Amino acid sequence: MLLKAANVSKAFGGFFAVSDASLEVGEGEIVGLIGPNGAGKSTFFNCLAGDFKPTSGRVFFDGHDVTEAAAETHARLGIGRTFQLPAIFEELTVLENVMVGAFLRHPREDDARAAARRVLALTGLERISDQPARSLGTPGRKRLGIARVLATEPRLILLDEALAGLTPTEIHQAIELVRAIHRTGITLVIVEHIMEVILTLAERIVVFNQGRVIAHGRPQEIVNDPAVIAAYLGRSHARRADKP
Amino acid sequence: MARKPIIGWLALAAVLLGFPLVFNGEYYEQLAAFVILSAISASAWNLVGGYAGQVSVGHAVYFGAGAYMPLLFYKLWAASPLLGFPAGIAVSVVIAVVIGVPTFRLSGHYFSMATIAVAELIRIVVSDWDFLGGAIGLMGPATPRGWWDLIWRSSLPYYYIFLAVLGLLLYITHRMERTRLGYYLRAIRANDRAARSLGVPVSRYKLYALMLSAAFTSLAGSLYAAKFGFVDPGSALGILVSVQMVVMAALGGAGRLLGPLLGAVILVPLQTTTNSFFGGQGTGLAFILYGGIIMLLSRYAPGGLIEVWERFQARRDAGTARRSAERNGDARAA
Repeated sequence: MLLKAANVSKAFGGFFAVSDASLEVGEGEIVGLIGPNGAGKSTFFNCLAGDFKPTSGRVFFDGHDVTEAAAETHARLGIGRTFQLPAIFEELTVLENVMVGAFLRHPREDDARAAARRVLALTGLERISDQPARSLGTPGRKRLGIARVLATEPRLILLDEALAGLTPTEIHQAIELVRAIHRTGITLVIVEHIMEVILTLAERIVVFNQGRVIAHGRPQEIVNDPAVIAAYLGRSHARRADKP
Repeated sequence: MARKPIIGWLALAAVLLGFPLVFNGEYYEQLAAFVILSAISASAWNLVGGYAGQVSVGHAVYFGAGAYMPLLFYKLWAASPLLGFPAGIAVSVVIAVVIGVPTFRLSGHYFSMATIAVAELIRIVVSDWDFLGGAIGLMGPATPRGWWDLIWRSSLPYYYIFLAVLGLLLYITHRMERTRLGYYLRAIRANDRAARSLGVPVSRYKLYALMLSAAFTSLAGSLYAAKFGFVDPGSALGILVSVQMVVMAALGGAGRLLGPLLGAVILVPLQTTTNSFFGGQGTGLAFILYGGIIMLLSRYAPGGLIEVWERFQARRDAGTARRSAERNGDARAA
């Protein structure tokens, strides 16, 4: 297992945003993390990325215990992440944004620039590489967020709602990008609430509701799971689905 | 100018080197020396306050350490003030680590307020510490025993020494902009959480910036002590010393290589003029002036004058492009 979260809980005061959640991700997999708003998937995700320290439970990456490790250590070990609201460096150019990521493995400026240009070519951003990042719209920002984390040469990328706020055409292009990244051998964990997107991309899906994992399995099993239907559509729909 | 940067640099160097030769006389020479000295400390502040975006309002601590050390060396052992320079730098770097490790856990205004508190605390302690001359301060040698006492009647030698140090500092800063440190600092300033997610050890790099900044601020303090031969808590550790660095850098452009120099070129003569106009009671006026500048800057030009100039140029270029496009369109139509 590349990534393993065992019985992770995260409490804010007395409120458990995540309780007793476990997840295993093998090398080369695409795993989807879904659930209604407020289900705790983003909190769980932040525990995996090292932004939050879990209240209890452990997180292992490639055999290392990273439960207590800082976010920057996660990046060094090979866990990259994107942000739901793309936290790009507004004052830097597109190329410089990606170079900040590339400096992790390439301490010299020339090497970092060359590595960043390779990533820009892969992500289709090379034509706007010298534009200031603040001039980008939502699709460009999301793409830049992905490019920047790719430049850190991760083994696993945690994608936080990389498709939210995109038009259908842009979603299609973003899906192609995610597939291209997966083909380079990078393992992906995707948080998403657009169902059809996750169904076409992920090989395995974990469903959150009210801080707990309520289901996991292949996409086809998930869409027919009464507990998942109840969580998304309410109990009356689940009962209807139960009937043959 | 942007297309041939080397010409711009040579022109700037020529102006700075030639200034006191054109405008001679003690008044101009002293003013010019003070502009360059202020530019050194503001440029040193710029490393951590501008590039890394950590607005310290307590840099008087490092300036003061640099100013006190040479005169303390003279008081204790009648040593050349020069020997105090490296001591000041060493003390400042140690203080930077001691202050930086806890205060960098704070962000934004809380960090700035913590630096003010620490600086004021140190000023008050020094004011009551007889070893450092208490509220009266310390004196340097009255008459030069040799060149190593760095005492000249004219301001000219100081001007060129200050200019050499400023050149060195700006050269180091310029080189830093093109290293991992430079990119990491700008990333931290833009968004420290995102920087962390990309593997930037944020606290460590902030500390590197502060140590480098403290070293050069200390050097500025030592040069100040060498020129004026006298230091007391107000002139070397007062909050005005810190605020002045912030305002000069912000006026020209914080996080820009030449921002602090531009700020010093504008502010120091302004300040000297108001001081001489209102006599010895003018020190309070500087606070009012700085307050006004801070308000105007944060409302209209948070990026400083360099950014205003760039915005103006970009608009002019866009205008030129549009006009020439229209002309071509007219030609085709005719």
